[in-house]
Amino acid sequence: MSTYQLPYQDRRGFTNCLLSAIGGDGANMAAKLLFKIAAEELNLDGAYDAKYGSEKKGTPTDVSLRLCNFGTPVRESGPTNRPHILCVFRENLIRTLGLNRGLQEHATVIVNTCKSPEEIRDALHLHSGTVHVLDAGKIALETHSRLNMPMMAMLAHVLGFPEAAVIKKITETWPRAVEPNVAAYKAAVDQSVSKSFAADGKYQLAEPAEVRSAIGYDNMLDGGAVDTLTQSTVGRNNAYARSNPAPAFNREACIDCAKCMTVCADPGAIVWENGKMVGIDLAYCKACLRCVAVCPETKKGKALTDPAKEGVVTCSF
Amino acid sequence: MQLLNNAKQKMFLGNGNDAAAQAILDIKFDGEGYYPITPSSEVGEIVSKAVADGKSDISFVVGTSELAAIGICTGMALAGGRVVDVTSAQGLLLKAEEMPSISGLGLPMVLNLSTREVNAPLNIKNGHSDLAAALGWGWLIFMAPNVQSVYDMNIIAIKVAEAVGLPAIVAYDGFHTSHANRRIEIFENAADVAAFVGDKPARQNILDLEHPTTFGPYMNDDLINTKVLLERKMAKAYEIIPQIFAAYAELTGRQYDFVEVYGDANAESGMLALNSAAEAAKTVVDELQEEDKGVKLITPYVLRPFPAKAMVEAVGGLKRLVVAERVSQYGAANYMENEVGAALQKAGNSTTELISRVYGIGGLNFRPDEDARPMFELAMNWPNVDDSHKTLEGRYWGAWPGDANYHPPATLKRMTTEETTWNAGRDKIDLKELSNMPSRFEKHSACPGCGIFTNLNQFMRGIDGNVVFLFNTGCGMVVTTGFPQTTFKVSYVHNLFHNASSTATGIVEMYHRFRAKGEIPDEEITFICVSGDGGDDIGMDQLIGSALRNDPIIFLEYDNKGYMNTGGQLCYTGILGQRNSNAPIGKVVAGKQTQHKDIVEILRGTNAPYLFTGAESNPRDLIMKARKAQATVRNGGFAFGKLFSPCPLNWGSDPAMGNEIIDRLVKSCVHPLYEIENGVTTLNYNPEKVNAKIPVTEALKVMGSAFAHLANEKYAKEAEEIQREVDTRWERLKARAENPVL
Ligand SMILES: Cc1ncc(C[n+]2csc(CCOP(=O)(O)OP(=O)(O)O)c2C)c(N)n1
Ligand code: SF4
Ligand code: SF4
Ligand code: SF4
Repeated sequence: MSTYQLPYQDRRGFTNCLLSAIGGDGANMAAKLLFKIAAEELNLDGAYDAKYGSEKKGTPTDVSLRLCNFGTPVRESGPTNRPHILCVFRENLIRTLGLNRGLQEHATVIVNTCKSPEEIRDALHLHSGTVHVLDAGKIALETHSRLNMPMMAMLAHVLGFPEAAVIKKITETWPRAVEPNVAAYKAAVDQSVSKSFAADGKYQLAEPAEVRSAIGYDNMLDGGAVDTLTQSTVGRNNAYARSNPAPAFNREACIDCAKCMTVCADPGAIVWENGKMVGIDLAYCKACLRCVAVCPETKKGKALTDPAKEGVVTCSF
Repeated sequence: MQLLNNAKQKMFLGNGNDAAAQAILDIKFDGEGYYPITPSSEVGEIVSKAVADGKSDISFVVGTSELAAIGICTGMALAGGRVVDVTSAQGLLLKAEEMPSISGLGLPMVLNLSTREVNAPLNIKNGHSDLAAALGWGWLIFMAPNVQSVYDMNIIAIKVAEAVGLPAIVAYDGFHTSHANRRIEIFENAADVAAFVGDKPARQNILDLEHPTTFGPYMNDDLINTKVLLERKMAKAYEIIPQIFAAYAELTGRQYDFVEVYGDANAESGMLALNSAAEAAKTVVDELQEEDKGVKLITPYVLRPFPAKAMVEAVGGLKRLVVAERVSQYGAANYMENEVGAALQKAGNSTTELISRVYGIGGLNFRPDEDARPMFELAMNWPNVDDSHKTLEGRYWGAWPGDANYHPPATLKRMTTEETTWNAGRDKIDLKELSNMPSRFEKHSACPGCGIFTNLNQFMRGIDGNVVFLFNTGCGMVVTTGFPQTTFKVSYVHNLFHNASSTATGIVEMYHRFRAKGEIPDEEITFICVSGDGGDDIGMDQLIGSALRNDPIIFLEYDNKGYMNTGGQLCYTGILGQRNSNAPIGKVVAGKQTQHKDIVEILRGTNAPYLFTGAESNPRDLIMKARKAQATVRNGGFAFGKLFSPCPLNWGSDPAMGNEIIDRLVKSCVHPLYEIENGVTTLNYNPEKVNAKIPVTEALKVMGSAFAHLANEKYAKEAEEIQREVDTRWERLKARAENPVL
């Protein structure tokens, strides 16, 4: 048997990992694979619990993975609210979800980003621990794998899983895509940049998030109804749902044919004023590129184009 | 009883649904009736995959509703089959009518219940209100507090069920167990499971031609005697369950009892909890023990028959017992509180005080530190606890009053008829002018490229004035109204998966009544129901009812060829050979086995005044149809429209390609554009006339991985059958369009 040691143990014997992603990122699959490696290759026990809900692409989701030595009772269900290891698939979720809450001291943080570990520490308000940053989107693109592969790789790495065990499971799971996935694994470990931060008092530990909203039994409308005029989604920003850049608009080339208006999947994103197309409202746009697909070629080119086609790096939008 | 010793076990990694499915496959049932509902849907998906791959020969039948699914199970069992079903929440309640029939008929079977709260507002998470509803249905009820016991209880349940001639529910917590992945043990050889469960006992059955039998006679005074039969079976189950538990322990080393007692047998304080909460609480029992604070945890593995004797013994000399339930009987003592209280009283225990708590409903977790420990402390300290624990609200663990100072400002104004009138008096469709139509909805959280709101956006540009929306359960509903916010800028109601049309009928009746009496302002309102194609499987009867009554409402179906909200299960609208999560492409079965349902032609028989199909690729046509639909309801009639809607997530299609896909579906006549006005058919677009007709494979190949295989050589036979069906329907449609009496 291996001499594997869990990197952390809370008083009940668990290393708690939280994967924060958006639907479609493959966080679930990553956790599932790690759990398999843990149980089948390292004879560990533990639990992985996916966030429950209707998983639409582009909506925030999280997966919790808790590992312990075999023989430790595994009884609690539901996600961990006190992670030792936080793995963030989309940097902008840090602020949207307040991901520092519940994070333990001397934590390990993995973030898919182009920013530096210092910048991430500040964005996260990290009390103490180690930050690993990597451009997972770029690695996935270059190695022809998926975003979850470099992220899973980094998580396996910080968990101290032996490389051979990880590669063995990757090979078993995707026999037809071994090369790209192994390449992504290696690139992630090689290209990530890490830095440790002492408990220097710059940021405080934060308690786990509470579910409580401002509306409770004393001020809820009868039957849980919602007051349309004050509780509208008008103020919301859909930006986090974009996994590629929003279309670029060139007014010069636009012939106001209204095709974009009729196909937009997030109506409101296509803004018209006085019978003219004036641009895209980024608070709505989820970058599905439906509008780009129908926008006609005019003498001055297409009014709506996909900036990613012009070679934009993955984490810079 | 024959005891088998030590059947070999092996490691299994999976969640509660995986465990239930594995048990179903190991038991080797004859049949499964199925209808998807979160959080139990996966169980059927896994079984269907095994069938598609030729690894299981179970008859797997997808119904049009949960009631249909359990009816299918009833039929299978009447024919002597060993059968199984899975469900949750609304699904169980829809089966309610059939449930006492099954126990009354004496049909053994297993129903896996992944528990979920039933409520309005809709919630998909854990709660035991479905389970509580089933307590009096004459079904055996086994509890599975963790993933391991989901597997085990399935095997035990069928054995007990067949031994006594009663159906059995295996209840495990939705999400907390159904979606909790754990390392468990299962039988290495399914043959050992078969040996333990044994052969099906001989039973009167409807296929036995030697003994013709009438099942389900009409009965009056004699009925009381059937109740005695049920009671006797429960009594017999009570006797044999311990033996079966013992035999199972012998085989696997995993011992179950009527009631598990964990912790200090002599404690004065304790807690009773069901399923996953009891599991989580065990840790705290151990930790309190280390602090020299002995407490006792009680959790039953069997609820029916209710193990009163074992329960009284379990309670023993407790002074205070917190009875924690994931359900409430508002205005009355709670379910377990009543049952335990009655058992204690009969046994002469008048010293244990029961403290009721309602907890963990609708997704709230039950954590050791935040929940279990304070609940034990409540039992230890009662009655010397904060007064807030003794109030009505205090019984609801984790409920909160809200912030009295929260008064969010209005961010919208009521929409007026003036600002939303851009169609009246216009003949032509001027998209530039219609860009002025304010949207009746705001930001939603559908997947990028989802077709639902593209369709609705186009359609609503053709609808003037005040609107009220009614949505069936489905993606359209889920992505718009996550509490406490709403996407809708006008009034909206969601009432169940299949009830929008009936609810609309009720609303529109009152609207006309109150308007005629002058009790509401004399303003026009257009009522628009929106449903997925799945809503028109399960709600087909209600939709047809509204059409037959000719209720003045508009009903829109966005047809995305599947039950997308629950993870892409098949809908009767699906294309032959389409890949669905419960109709996978396997080695021996490839996808959906029937041709696509044609809802407009089904509705043709209702003679409703206005029926149409629409497509986002033809916006002017669709907006014109919106105008006609509104004109129809203004004339007091019913209007129905079917709109094809891409689902990039479950189709695996390119989100940007939606419009192109729909265009091809129209041009291939899979989705012909037409309308039926008072029985007269008009083709709105004939691709043959403009030389644009394409084979169905030209559409299928761009529709993503759920369809694209159908354009490959390997599935040429399926493609040919689809083409033939589409051609036949197209020819018939053209004939109708040419002849107004057809
Ligand atoms: C009685 C009942 N059965 C099952 C469900 C679970 N359920 C909710 S939405 C849904 C599928 C909806 O499919 P469809 O109407 O096609 O809409 P879509 O999800 O595709 O938008 C199902 C099966 C339910 N809510 N109620
Ligand atoms: S589709 Fe292109 S050309 Fe037409 S209105 Fe939109 S941006 Fe302008
Ligand atoms: S990319 Fe999609 S969401 Fe954004 S404006 Fe275009 S169609 Fe609308
Ligand atoms: S799952 Fe499909 S139907 Fe549902 S929101 Fe996503 S794309 Fe739309």
